[in-house]
This record gives sequence, C-alpha cells and structure tokens, in this order.
Amino acid sequence: MDWWRSFFRQESTHSRLIGVTALAALTLAITFVLPPVANSELAGGAAIAIVILGLSWLIGWSGQISLGNSGFMAVGAYAAGIWAHHHNTTPLVFTLALAIVAGGLSGLIIAIPSTRLRGPYLAGLTLAFAAAVTPIAQNFTSVTGGEGGIFLNSLVTPSWFGHLFSGANAVINANAQWTADLAVVVAAVSFFFMANLFHSRTGRAMRLVRDNDVAAELMGVDLLRTRSSAFMIAAAYAGLGGALYSLLEASVRPETFPLTLSITLLTLMVLGGIGTLSGAVIGGIIYSFSADLVAHVNSLTGVNPTSNLGANMQGIIFGVLLILTMMFAPRGLVSLRTPIQKLFRILRPRRQTPDLGELH
Amino acid sequence: MSAFLTSSLMHNIFGGLAQGVVYSLVALSLVIVWQSTHVLNFAQGAMAMFATYIGMTEIDRGIGYWWCVIISVAVGMIVGGLTERVLIRPLYGKPEINPIVVMVGFLGVLEALSAAIWTSSTRNIAEPFSQIFYHANGNLVYLSPFIIFQIILAICIMLLVAALFRFTRLGLQLRASALAPEVSRLLGIRVSRMLTIGWMLSAGVGAIAAVIQASGSFGLFPTNMDGIFVAGFIAAAVGGLESPIGAVAGGLLIGLAEQFILAYWSPNVAPLGGIIILVVALMIRPQGLFTKHAGRRV
Repeated sequence: MDWWRSFFRQESTHSRLIGVTALAALTLAITFVLPPVANSELAGGAAIAIVILGLSWLIGWSGQISLGNSGFMAVGAYAAGIWAHHHNTTPLVFTLALAIVAGGLSGLIIAIPSTRLRGPYLAGLTLAFAAAVTPIAQNFTSVTGGEGGIFLNSLVTPSWFGHLFSGANAVINANAQWTADLAVVVAAVSFFFMANLFHSRTGRAMRLVRDNDVAAELMGVDLLRTRSSAFMIAAAYAGLGGALYSLLEASVRPETFPLTLSITLLTLMVLGGIGTLSGAVIGGIIYSFSADLVAHVNSLTGVNPTSNLGANMQGIIFGVLLILTMMFAPRGLVSLRTPIQKLFRILRPRRQTPDLGELH
Repeated sequence: MSAFLTSSLMHNIFGGLAQGVVYSLVALSLVIVWQSTHVLNFAQGAMAMFATYIGMTEIDRGIGYWWCVIISVAVGMIVGGLTERVLIRPLYGKPEINPIVVMVGFLGVLEALSAAIWTSSTRNIAEPFSQIFYHANGNLVYLSPFIIFQIILAICIMLLVAALFRFTRLGLQLRASALAPEVSRLLGIRVSRMLTIGWMLSAGVGAIAAVIQASGSFGLFPTNMDGIFVAGFIAAAVGGLESPIGAVAGGLLIGLAEQFILAYWSPNVAPLGGIIILVVALMIRPQGLFTKHAGRRV
C-alpha cells in the first residue's frame, strides 16, 4: 500500500503530474460512454470544480473566508465574454488567460482592504462585492448587454474530433463530448498547478500564516503579500471557472451569478472537504449531477417536481447538507473513512504522523 | 419653509433616512448578536424574512396589522432562540469559519423553504398608514404618513433596546456576560441563558426591520432582505460591530449615501456606494469608526 499512499500524498511534482493526468485520462475515457446530456453536465461540473478549488485554497490554506466567489466568476466571465463577442476568432486559450487576469485583478482590488480584515468582516466585504456585481452588470447595458447578457458563438468542435462519431446524432454527441473533454483538460491543468502550489514555499508560508500569523511574521513571511496573493489566486481560479462555464453555455448573463451561487460554491467546497484536491473533485461531481440528484430525491419522496417545494428542493437540500456537514464532519466527505480503509488500518497499524494540511 | 421642504435636497434626505432606519435596525440586531456570542449572523435577514412571512400572512385571516406585527416579532424571537440553542451552541470554541458557514447554510434553507411555502412572487402587505406623499403649495414633499411611521417606529425600537441594556437588571446581566463570561458565571449569572436571550432580542429587532421593509412599496418576497442585510452588515462594520450607536449611525449614513449617489451621481454605481464607504472606513479605522478600544484577539 505504500506506493498508493505516497501517490495520494503527492510528495513530488512527478507523482502529482501522474496523478492528475491519470484522473483526467480516466474522466476523458468516461466521456466516451456517457450520454450527451451527462457530458454537458460534466463540462459544467469541471468548470465549477476549478472555482471550488480556488475557494478551497483560500479558506483551507490561507484561512481567509470569501462569500464573493460568484462575483469573481462574473468578472472573469464578462471579461472573456466581452472579448469573445468582439473578437470571435481569438483562440480559446487566450480568452481564458484574459479571464484569469481579470479575475486575479478584481481579487487584488478586493484583497487590498481585505488583508487588514479578519473572519466576519472579510466574509461580509466579499458578500457585499458579490451583491454589487450583478446589479452593475445589469446597469451598464452598453458593455454587458444588461439583463439579456451577451450571446457568444458556441465552441467549435474540430473536424478531426467530429470524424470519430457516426450515426444519427453524431454532431450532437461530438459537440457535447468535445465541450466536456475541453473542460476536463482545463480543469486538469488548473488542478496540477494548485497541487504544486499546495506543496510550494508559498503554500507552506500560507499555512503558517493561517495557523499563527505572529510566528509567520517572525520567520520573515510578508503577511500582507501572502494574504493578498492567496486572494488573487482564488479570484483568478474563480475567473477562469466562470469564463469556462459561460463559454460552455455560449452566453454570459447576470442571472448565472446570483448571490446564492456563492452559497452553492461554499456548500460544495465544504461537502467535498476544505483544502483538498479530491474535495474539489467531489464538489464538482456533486454539482454536475445535482439536478439528477434532486430529481431523484423528489421522486423518492413523491414530491411533484413542478410544485413550489419541488422547484426549491435543491436549495433546501444544499442548505441542510452544508449545516450538517459543518456540524458533524467539518472536514468533508474526504474525511469519512470507508470500511475498507478501516480494515487496512486494523491489519497494518501505522505510526500516526501529524497531518499539517488538516484544518484545525 | 415649504419651499425648503419640497427641495430636492430634503427629498433625498427624507428618502435616505427612511431607508437608513431599516439598515440601522438590521445593523443593531447584528451588533447585539455579535456582542453576545461573537458570531456574525449571516442568516439575520432571512430569519427576519421568515418570521415576517409567518406573522404578516395572518392578515389574510382578518387579524389586525398590529397583532400580525406582534406575531412576527414573537416568531422571530423563538426562531432566534432556537437557532442559538441548536445551530450555534455546538460551535462555540470552534474556528470562526464554522458558525459563518453554518449560518450561510441556514440562510439558504430559509430562503428556499419560504419560496417553497409561500412562492417566490412578491406579496404586498396592507400598510397601516397611507403611502401617498404630502404636498406643500402643490409641490411634492418626500414624506408620507407611512415614512413618518417607519422612522418613528424604528427610533422607538432603538430607544427601547438602549433602555433595556442601560436601565434594567436583564440588560446589566447581558452586558456583563458579553464582557466577561467567566466572571459573570462566578457571580451567578446564567451566561448560557443570556446568550440565548441576546439572540432572541436580536432576532426580534431584525423582525421589526423586515416588517417595515415588507410593509413598504417593495413588498415581501423570499430574498427581500438580502440587499438589506448586506447594507445592514456594511453599516455595522463601519460602526465597528461592537457599538450599537455606531451601528445606528452607520445605517443612517449608508441610507443617505445610497440616496445621494442615486440622485446626484449615477444610478449605475449606486450598488457600489455601500462597498466604497465600507472600504474607505475600514482603511481609515479597521476596527470600525465607533469602537473605543483598538486591537484584536490573536
């Protein structure tokens, strides 16, 4: 089991690269068997997983809370959307890079006052930011398209990819799978960068700042710079995720980024597990199939999905899950040990090593 | 005099004050909870909205407006007390992120549940006073009986809360347990009961704010307190979260600032008004404009 453990502890860049590539390859393989609807859902989930990862980094590693990630998503999405609307031949990589820069800049602007704040003040300030973004997008009609938003050309499936498909629904299948594969690849690249960041000098400094900022300062860590860079990175991830999500949807609209999206993001992050890569993956998967999940709960409980209760079931379930997870398993689903893992523990008792990545 | 009353300056001052008192009440309720348990209650607005729904929909059954207000406040206090006992009590001593996350979850549950029970469409509540503006010499004065009522009601509630904390035995016990829980416990105050009472008081004040907001022209809908909560939080943070007077002043400031930005600058940037004030205020004094002692707990 040793190779297994060292693999999942991601002790070297090499193992991280192999791990992320393996997971991405597995997901890409799965997209070949999924129906087109599930592939579209998966694409959205991959985009959201990127945002969750940024939030996870911010809360789990730097100890700063943000309720404004839906706002950063909107900034990235509008930057990419406005650019793509006027220059629709730009390569996707460039558009996404623009979203990363725009998201990061907005994060930096929020970070400047934020780094002097703690816990509740910070949460409130970021919430106020997220609440302000949607009305601004609705008001500046000439740039953002107002209520209706901006419509974009849908992503072009390359012809070599289209040739892989045949049959009646070849085009639909190819398009759905291409968007899913694209999103998975972008997510894999961002996960790889974050995995390295977790174990870098900055990552270690960040944990020290989170646990004891006085000690960190004594050791020569620049608190202001460390805290604001954490914010900037989280916002850049949100910007990238938001842009990717909007490009997949082929439109940027204010109603994609309501305040409740911040709550959903927080729920998914807490559910998966704060400050872990696998937690963000789990969060993304739950997001992808949350509609199916809710429909399943509705049919199990016999609630009419078109009734008021059925339409609001998702909000109720997510809220209850967030409360229950935070109260009874604050480290999320990744912390729940399966019976098989417990069995291995009993068979091979190991020396307990302190896990620094743990949220205290 | 009448020319002065109908001027656009007074128009904006009245409008700003009318919205500002609602922000002040929300800020005040946030400060009460913050002082008693050091939790920033992100579900404050939603709890108040929920209580208002339960109380004010009783109007449909022919119960008078004032009885409905009383029911709303009572329901709000019960919800507040239960929330402290069930959701917040297990989290004392945990990292400060935990109660924030739990209350954000509670906010989501309450809004979804309200939309499920009462639908998300706007419900108008028969206001107790006319919303028709007064006239002076044929010109409009931005004051209606309802606006006067809402300002006076808010001021009465603030004075009541101030009197409770200042002059009653309960108020003294509440202040003591917020300031020094250990010593208070040794002196025989039931500190845990005081924490619950603090939450109940706060939720009651919040319910009044929601009743005023819902009775006005915006009506009642499940997310109607979202924006009010954000403004109320900004007001409380500008005042410093520790100071009830700061919270009230902050609320009036935010209300007036929003109105003036709307009138004299651009409606497009009005949503940013509060956040600009917050950032500027926090840059000048990170601990809030009205707190006496600087420094934070490490």
